[in-house]
Amino acid sequence: MSEIPTCREVERDLVAVAAGEAEPAAAQGVERHVAICRECRDELGRYRVLEGMVTDLRRAPMPGVDPTLARAELESKLADIRSRLVTYGMFASPLGKILIARSELGVSMVRYIDSEASARSHMARLGGDEGIVEDEAVVEPLYRELLDYLSARDTRLRWPLDLRWAGSEFQRRVLEATSQLPYGAVASYGGIAKRIGAPESVRAVAQALRHNPLPIVIPCHRVVGSTGDLTGYAGTRIGLKEQLLSIEGVHVGGDTHRIDRNHMYVWIDPDKEYCVPSCGELSKMPLAKLTLFGSRAHAEALGLQPCQSCRPDLHPIPA
Amino acid sequence: MGRDMTEDAFESIVATHHAEIHRYLVRATLRPGDADDLSQETFVRAYKAYRALPPDANVRAWLFTIATNLSRNHFRAEGRRRRAMAMAAVGATEQGPSWPEGEAIANQASARIDRLVSALPFKQRAAFTMRKVHELDYDTISQSLECSAESARAHVFQALRKIRQGLNDLDGVQTER
Repeated sequence: MSEIPTCREVERDLVAVAAGEAEPAAAQGVERHVAICRECRDELGRYRVLEGMVTDLRRAPMPGVDPTLARAELESKLADIRSRLVTYGMFASPLGKILIARSELGVSMVRYIDSEASARSHMARLGGDEGIVEDEAVVEPLYRELLDYLSARDTRLRWPLDLRWAGSEFQRRVLEATSQLPYGAVASYGGIAKRIGAPESVRAVAQALRHNPLPIVIPCHRVVGSTGDLTGYAGTRIGLKEQLLSIEGVHVGGDTHRIDRNHMYVWIDPDKEYCVPSCGELSKMPLAKLTLFGSRAHAEALGLQPCQSCRPDLHPIPA
Repeated sequence: MGRDMTEDAFESIVATHHAEIHRYLVRATLRPGDADDLSQETFVRAYKAYRALPPDANVRAWLFTIATNLSRNHFRAEGRRRRAMAMAAVGATEQGPSWPEGEAIANQASARIDRLVSALPFKQRAAFTMRKVHELDYDTISQSLECSAESARAHVFQALRKIRQGLNDLDGVQTER
């Protein structure tokens, strides 16, 4: 039989035995020691009493301590964080790889990307304290809707907009006016400038749309120069602008990168009718005053009627 | 990835654990006001990191770890307070926690123990509270305190020993054989 441990050796195990946490060997050592040591036997008893008192702490009320207010403040902080939190995913699309980001408020970014890695570091830089997380599943429904749109199965993206990345109040107004352009329609930068009540600010409008945080969703592809020139899109992606317009039934001259207003139906907002381009003085009016359609169907989808003078319904533009 | 990030999922975590984490923080920080702040901070951090947490992770243990880290940093940041704590530890039995004891006559024993716990150094106080009040396992305690499980046991042992010494009237307890 091994030696009986000393008082000093047994002290820690004594506490463990009282707590019911001792290993069997340690418990045996304590048992053998307290059989011969009155002082440690009493001490074990005291620790057992203490263990009971300590256990009572689990149930004891803490007077003056109330987590209710802290909990309420926490809920409101979390609600605030949730509203600011942006979630994004990256997907393959007929337009190439795209990034879609959304918040509780709505879709906040669509971006054509070349590499996922550089897109990720871009998002991390944007995130800061606001919090940006990558989670495809959260964004997937938007992506599905976008695919339907790009295959012309659907003509509307019903996403609410979160314009947090609009740089200025002016850009916000430009983006909001552009988002009102109907499917299948084309207007000019001057037309958008006119719509926001700043007819002189054509260049500023073009700049604002150059930095559109929500291409496709805010259809800046429907905005062209005063001569019908596509001018540019998402950097050097003018081909995508053509692609998007062609999905919406707007023909673009492949070599010229220009729409041909002489082969498009014309609407002057807020008239109730649409015309062929040769109707009255239309062909002489600046593009800024007009909205053009590649097809009658898209004009009529807005509730517009064929003009009673030029009768586009009877004399449609030859394909 | 893969964590359920619906509002309900995290709200139910707050509903289940906030009160307990708050109680723990009252003991860990010694001040209900600090527990209010740090319990909020614990859950805000948890919310931000929750998505990356493996689906089989023990959420409760994880929250205790965040809360413990925050309290430790809180004390480090307030060196002055820590020195004050060291002073308090000298007169252990005289010092009490700063939350009012009210008329908790029925809980006098608990109040006395809390007074002794409040005088313990941070690691012993946190380890004791996690083990004895919240019944966490030593692995969780060691992760929270960034120490080995053996050290976590030692912290609890030291805490119990000091509390035992502070309760002089236990000296009268004798065991008949």
